Amino acid sequence: MKTFFAWLLWLWMCLVIVGAFFYAPVVLKGFRTPGSSRIVFFHVPMAWSSFLGFIAAAVWSLAYLNRRNPRHDRAAAVAIKLGLLFGILATVTGAMWAKIEWGAWWNWDPRQTSILAVILFYAAYLALRQSVEEPEKRARLAAAYALLGLVVTPFLFWVVPRITFSLHPDPVVNQSGKVDMDAPNLRVLFASGLGFAGLFFWIHNLQCRLEALAERRAALKE
Amino acid sequence: MQRNTSSWASEAAAVFAKEWRCEFRTRYALNTLALFAFTTLVVVSFSLGPMGVARSQGTAVLPVLLWIILLFSVAAGLPRAFVQEEETHTATALRLAATPSALFCGKLLYGLTLVFALEALVTPAYLVMTSLEVASPWLLAGVLAAGGYGLAAGSTLVAAMIAQARSKGTLFSVLSFPVLLPLLVLTVELTRGAAAGDPAGVSLPVLLLYDGSVTVAGLMLFPVVWNP
Repeated sequence: MKTFFAWLLWLWMCLVIVGAFFYAPVVLKGFRTPGSSRIVFFHVPMAWSSFLGFIAAAVWSLAYLNRRNPRHDRAAAVAIKLGLLFGILATVTGAMWAKIEWGAWWNWDPRQTSILAVILFYAAYLALRQSVEEPEKRARLAAAYALLGLVVTPFLFWVVPRITFSLHPDPVVNQSGKVDMDAPNLRVLFASGLGFAGLFFWIHNLQCRLEALAERRAALKE
Repeated sequence: MQRNTSSWASEAAAVFAKEWRCEFRTRYALNTLALFAFTTLVVVSFSLGPMGVARSQGTAVLPVLLWIILLFSVAAGLPRAFVQEEETHTATALRLAATPSALFCGKLLYGLTLVFALEALVTPAYLVMTSLEVASPWLLAGVLAAGGYGLAAGSTLVAAMIAQARSKGTLFSVLSFPVLLPLLVLTVELTRGAAAGDPAGVSLPVLLLYDGSVTVAGLMLFPVVWNP
């Protein structure tokens, strides 16, 4: 069943890549380099999966604090690691696109600023985990910090765009509340988003099992 | 267990009183903190040079430096409130003596008075040294009060976390700065608005909302952080 799901995911992602380059039409309006708009099919889902990771981690952290089951703690930690991975990928791909479109890798665009701050926050989460040795205490403190993140980071997304100037293309769900994209592009984007979410949960499952095995091995060695 | 409000308040007050009594016995935090803040202030002001910053750039640059000084001073002084409990092994006794939420409020109140004292010392000296003119002093006072509260609340919660970890000093900066970053962005922007005299892009209620959110999060998360 699991192998079937993995192959299905592979097929889905292949279709997304083909769709991104051959099915979706190039967007010319608002872009300097034709074709650079295609980044939306990979860059945006990366950012989505990054936030999926952070929100899922908060849910698992809450579950840990309620049930005190080490499995939930492991799931939260892995979700944050993956969230960081996708967040860094989104930042790097965004910087590459910014170099092509805006002429500079980094220019403190509101989105660049906010995602950098979020990455800093969750990198601090990993630093916290590393400096507590007792597993129970580590899980407890880390869960509290992950939940604090869900309270604090939304402020960035509200505040930063209001005080800095942005060149960033409007988000798909934008402030005017209407979708600013034609149907084929939108189809590929949401298919890709679904694919990336599947990718996230697939890697998450693998990594959780891997870490559980590593812990069991370490316990047996003692 | 049903606890009435008066015993909760007296617990919080007792923790607050205990903090200051301990503080006045050694005056460790008070003296180092005041000196740290003042030294940083002198370094910043001296590095700007005798001419300071041009008036046109002053309102953009100087509020940033003021809040950086405050942030680093808080990072130097506030974690002690919890680190000391772990170092002197008094944390267990404190766990038995007070309800977590009352303890959190007592410690927060102590941190708050410390931050306000710090601001009262640093801000006038900073304004004099850098000759930053403030067009709306009341807005600045409001920002200092609300921003100081946010600094104290965020730091108190993070201090309780790092007190139980290794490498406490550096870990505090690593953990607290991302938490305080939205606060800092808001306070800097509002201080700019206060200095220039025109309303900023963000308003004081957002800062109060941050304060409220961190307080509620602190009250809910502190029992988990504190009780093993």
